[in-house]
Amino acid sequence: MGAALVGVFGVAGALLRFAVDSWFAHRTQRHGSSSAGHRTGSSTGTPRHWPWATLVVNATGCLIIGLSIGITGRLGLAPEWQTAVATGLAGGLTTFSSWTTATVRLLSESRSGAAALNVGANLAAGFAAAAIGIAIAS
Amino acid sequence: MKHAGMPDWRAWLAVAAGGLAGTELRYGLGLVFPDAAGAVPWTTLGINVAGSFVLAALTTLWIARPHTAFWVRAGLGPGLLGAFTTFSALVFSIDQLARAGEHPVWLIYLGLSLLLGLGAAAAGWRTGRLMVDRTEAVR
Repeated sequence: MGAALVGVFGVAGALLRFAVDSWFAHRTQRHGSSSAGHRTGSSTGTPRHWPWATLVVNATGCLIIGLSIGITGRLGLAPEWQTAVATGLAGGLTTFSSWTTATVRLLSESRSGAAALNVGANLAAGFAAAAIGIAIAS
Repeated sequence: MKHAGMPDWRAWLAVAAGGLAGTELRYGLGLVFPDAAGAVPWTTLGINVAGSFVLAALTTLWIARPHTAFWVRAGLGPGLLGAFTTFSALVFSIDQLARAGEHPVWLIYLGLSLLLGLGAAAAGWRTGRLMVDRTEAVR
């Protein structure tokens, strides 16, 4: 029961992240720069890509995990639901590997300022969002 | 409702399948190796470091081989590895450790996550490049 619930919520989180990713990739593509999909374009040319999609899903997921702790208790839901939302939805929605890989990619393009901003912005937005979630739910 | 440039159904299906596998793998590892309260969450750290290495290696391979089917890239990258690794658990654990006054623990956890996570991504990036160079030398 627990594993199935976590799985369903994890799939929802992953699909939501992919939707956000695709939306940003589509936008940048229309504006004539960067590459589609999972950032697999050439690293030459005018690389104006910056991992906005990852920042959005990571901040949102931190808000959700903060909210999940208080709200499931308040609604009197079984602990499986909290695990499903925290481990499944928030865990599936957020990503650590895309964050680190995008940072290394920016460094490989000698864009150390953009790389440092990517590290700092995700951490700052993540901690703020989690604190807001916890404050709302408690 | 198909947008030009939006992924087709195979990519969404691959992300769902990869997302399920990645989530269950992370959940399962958490059950087998539970993270102790008030200590560095080693299981989450290991998951994030391993996922960073693999995704960075795959990304360089896909840059060299842009003709890899998009659904394969989507299923493995955003699907499997995106769902396997987690940013929210990292941030939430640090928040809870800080609130509990465990300052050395959260500082070590954050430092190791950055150092090992970025280090693993850099190592994966180089490994992918080496694999590309080697296969191209063979041709």
